[in-house]
Amino acid sequence: MEKFRVLIVDDEGEFVETIVKRLRDRGLEAEGALSGQDALALLDEREFDVCVLDYRMPGMDGIETLRHMKKKKPRMEVIMLTGHGSVESGIQGLQLGAYNYVMKPAPLKDLLHQMEQAYERKLIEEERLRELDTE
Amino acid sequence: MLPFLKNNRVSGIEPYLATVLIFAFAIPLVCAGQYLLSGAAVALGALSFFHTRRILANVKRIAEERVVSGIAEERIITDDRACRSQIFSSVDALSAGIAHEINNPLGIIAQETQWIGHLMETPPLQGLKETEELRDSLREIFRQVDRCKETVHKLLSLAHQVEPVLQFVDVNELIRSMIGVADRQASEKRITIVRCLETGLPVVASDPPLLRQVLLNLLLNATQAIEQQGVITVSTRSLGGEFVEIMVQDTGCGIPREHLTRIFTPFFSTKPEGKGTGLGLAISRGIIERLGGSVEVSSDPGKSTTFVVKVPVNNRPANSTAGRE
Repeated sequence: MEKFRVLIVDDEGEFVETIVKRLRDRGLEAEGALSGQDALALLDEREFDVCVLDYRMPGMDGIETLRHMKKKKPRMEVIMLTGHGSVESGIQGLQLGAYNYVMKPAPLKDLLHQMEQAYERKLIEEERLRELDTE
Repeated sequence: MLPFLKNNRVSGIEPYLATVLIFAFAIPLVCAGQYLLSGAAVALGALSFFHTRRILANVKRIAEERVVSGIAEERIITDDRACRSQIFSSVDALSAGIAHEINNPLGIIAQETQWIGHLMETPPLQGLKETEELRDSLREIFRQVDRCKETVHKLLSLAHQVEPVLQFVDVNELIRSMIGVADRQASEKRITIVRCLETGLPVVASDPPLLRQVLLNLLLNATQAIEQQGVITVSTRSLGGEFVEIMVQDTGCGIPREHLTRIFTPFFSTKPEGKGTGLGLAISRGIIERLGGSVEVSSDPGKSTTFVVKVPVNNRPANSTAGRE
């Protein structure tokens, strides 16, 4: 699998810690953030290909964070994670540019598959932009 | 290296005529109806009026052509598409204006409201007995600002045609995961979602997030159509290997015949005020058309409604293997 850069955003520290560890173990460049604000600050410093973003967080929630992320880094693909599954918020997230809206708990294997798909989409879009530039 | 899709252009993408007719009237309505009686609203209104006239002239021209020359239906469709394309570019140009002229004032309203809220927590306003009532009013303003933001955003996604990004999609898998999202809300109303997914369905080259959005919209509609207790059946099948058909059927209230033709029209809604913008199905149809497919509805009023979506299997590059697991 190709190495890509992943940002995990969730207010549950243990979840973030574990998943970051497991992703690094699989050769990915993974980083964690415990809030929307922290994630946005991190985006000012570093580039990521894919972000896994919790929907429900205290302070800035997932939707608000997504909105800011898409302004800052429109090419970064975002997978939203949700524990309670509301159809309306799913539609809202997708409309704001999320790649997917995934129910918790998601087995790492499934989540990884989603990340790869999201990363593939990012590569396709980047290549399309390059083609447009050279035209 | 992951495989790329080279030919990721989808043709036949224009939104339909009605969209813009509604747009033309809706923009001044959104402006005037909810807080924004500003000069910008007047300007937009005038602009909309100009566009409406142009659109109506096009509609009239096409209608005349149909009657006078009796030309073949195909030609009319081509004209209609050209017309829709022209309309689309007008809408696209307008959408930037909407975003700026409505979202910016909305931002200011929200900010000022926050400031008022802050002042109310400081003396001498803090202790007044009317303060609680004022807080209620402020909360309502926030709610309505959010509502406006949401509507503007949906309008923009209707107008803004982002080119689809094609990836290989296992439609059955995509449906299973979206049913997973809808299940909790459905079961709260004692609705069972039944899956009849054909095995061996061809993998389609399509835009996964756009398809998910359509699926969720159809599931939301189906859930809302059933008051209490019922069944939503989601089924898939291959149509000669060229198209994949997705059917979403509910045992809900149905749609009266007179509403059936308007169901995809933007802002058409039979839901109570504030319960939906009437844009979900309009956006869904826009998406499916952009993906080279079609969506149709049929209904048995009082008994059931069925949405049938067809998405093409093609656009598949020969050298890619993604999704074929």
